[in-house]
Amino acid sequence: MTLANNNDSLTLYDETFTSRFLLGTALYPSPQAMLDSIAASRSEIVTLGLRRQSPEENGGAAVWQLIKSSGCKLLPNTAGCKSVKEAITTAEMSRELFETDWLKLEVIGDDYNLQPDPFALLEAAGELIKRGFKVLPYCTDDLVLCQRLVDVGCKVLMPWGSPIGTGQGLLNRYNLRTIRERLPNIPMIIDAGLGAPSQAMEAMEMGFDGVLLNTAVAKAQKPALMAKSFADAIDAGRMAHSAGLMLKRQTASASTPTIGQPFWHQNR
Amino acid sequence: MTEALPPRGDNIAPSLNKTSASTAHSKRNSQNIAVVGAGLLGRLLSWRLLSAGHSVTLYERDSFENSRAAAFTAAGMISPMSEVVVADRSIYEMGLHSMRLWQEWLHQYPQHFSGAYQQQGSLVVAHPQDESELAQFYQDLNYHLGTDNDARWLDQSELKQLEPDLSNTLQRGLFLPREAHIDNRHFLNSSLTLLQQLGANLQANANVSLNDQALCNEQALSPCDLIVDCRGIGLKPNNPHIRGVRGEVLRVESTEIQLARPVRLMHPRYKLYVVPRPNHQFILGATEIESEDRSPVSIQSSLELSSALYTLSPAFAEARIIEMDVNLRPSLPDNLPAIFQRKVNANQASAIDVIELNGLFRHGYLLAPTMVEQALALIEQNGSIQPFSDQLLKKCPTQNSSL
Repeated sequence: MTLANNNDSLTLYDETFTSRFLLGTALYPSPQAMLDSIAASRSEIVTLGLRRQSPEENGGAAVWQLIKSSGCKLLPNTAGCKSVKEAITTAEMSRELFETDWLKLEVIGDDYNLQPDPFALLEAAGELIKRGFKVLPYCTDDLVLCQRLVDVGCKVLMPWGSPIGTGQGLLNRYNLRTIRERLPNIPMIIDAGLGAPSQAMEAMEMGFDGVLLNTAVAKAQKPALMAKSFADAIDAGRMAHSAGLMLKRQTASASTPTIGQPFWHQNR
Repeated sequence: MTEALPPRGDNIAPSLNKTSASTAHSKRNSQNIAVVGAGLLGRLLSWRLLSAGHSVTLYERDSFENSRAAAFTAAGMISPMSEVVVADRSIYEMGLHSMRLWQEWLHQYPQHFSGAYQQQGSLVVAHPQDESELAQFYQDLNYHLGTDNDARWLDQSELKQLEPDLSNTLQRGLFLPREAHIDNRHFLNSSLTLLQQLGANLQANANVSLNDQALCNEQALSPCDLIVDCRGIGLKPNNPHIRGVRGEVLRVESTEIQLARPVRLMHPRYKLYVVPRPNHQFILGATEIESEDRSPVSIQSSLELSSALYTLSPAFAEARIIEMDVNLRPSLPDNLPAIFQRKVNANQASAIDVIELNGLFRHGYLLAPTMVEQALALIEQNGSIQPFSDQLLKKCPTQNSSL
């Protein structure tokens, strides 16, 4: 980052971070590739899920130790949970196991595209906040849902760009601009659906506070290189946002008058 | 090895002298080797050591017929091309090399191994709604293999020609002509018979530990020149980086459907395949879960596996599930295999070299021959000249070392 951006930190639930890139820890070709990617991403927060790993049997412990060794803040998720009850049970297990009250809340409403269930999400978020969790909900880009999540106490929102793992980028720019403008003081992290660094950069240029992704890095043929590419794009997008983007104009305007051409001819 | 009998009389001395000279020659290089763990690596290595004239004691914690080794659960795909997509190019190269070794070695004992190894290629398919998964697979294959890629697109009619019983909903697929598969139980059973015939000393129910001291069932291990540790997950006390990755498979039986080759189904979230076995059986695998839990197959996994099978062909609806199995793949942090060297009884005059073979992950039958060839070269002390020594020979990690 340049000098001008030295103080441009991200604050989530009263903790500050210099990186605006949150990385998922699933789907890598190997744990080593995951660690290399975390390092290359410069991320300070990584997500991880405990579902399907039988924590009561000490399942997954080997990989969790490796993730912890990255030194990042752990953000457990409730990936794959389909009901309020399931999400709450998983959240409580995560809090105990990973010793953190931070939670990426995910309640899936559609099995095929893993779309969030907004109704169950809102209910689970309210209950978990009552139980003392710091909830970062994975939500759609619907303004009313976002507002309701803030109303029940979420201090960070994580709207999707597009469905998980699709790499479609920012599908509904109108909705995303609306929630950004209407909830200007809530940190918002674009979570899911990003496939290319240019898409992450666009999200940052639009004024979102960070980006969370997994598949685009983990499934790249060189995951660590892709992680670095996203990290650089996210930094560049943030700098562009801070610097102030010019507005698009209908007509081209040359920055210097063309020598030898009378001014009244230039706008023909 | 048994000693050659001394010549009894001068009249037969010349021929016996010749025999004892050749015995003496092989004995000079012959070592007394303890192989620990009778899974795939332990069996294959013991066989090759015996063939090279060494004497072998093979120790197994369970029984030889039924052990916890991952080799008993594996589907036995030998698929260097499909695996390169989710791994490293070295997997592909070592895989192709292993395929040559499999053919050469199994061919030496046709009475034991005839029919176990099949090279019929493999198919990769996806349902129309998951077509992008197939396109991604092909793109990744090209990324790694470039012009080595002989994968061929098949349209529906070509697909039907190759595997007539596949579902009509599959509109196209990729044919990988070089891929093979091996009947794991055929290999495991026949190699056991062969080891007995070649004179291996087989020790079942032998719980070997190789911490500071080499012990077997808490007694000192019988004297040997060298120990090869093929214990898989059992190596964990000696190597903190070994972890188990849970895999679940179903074995089903159906007379309504025939497949000549493995079929992989591409899906946004699951990596699933079905591999044909003799007697109308099929192995359906495999989940890949970061957990060392050996408890039975979960409902979710059985649903994923069986619905994938059903979508490959509705005829599988009437198949019978004859087995559900769970096992752990011994894996290192980079999911690549490695050979380590260390010593036990290190502070004593009786220090013994130990060679550890581990980390085959989901590539057991794909990579074992290359590992065994490298181990054999190490034992016969020409280790550095083997083609994959750079990839396989790694520095031994200690309990406290980080990655």
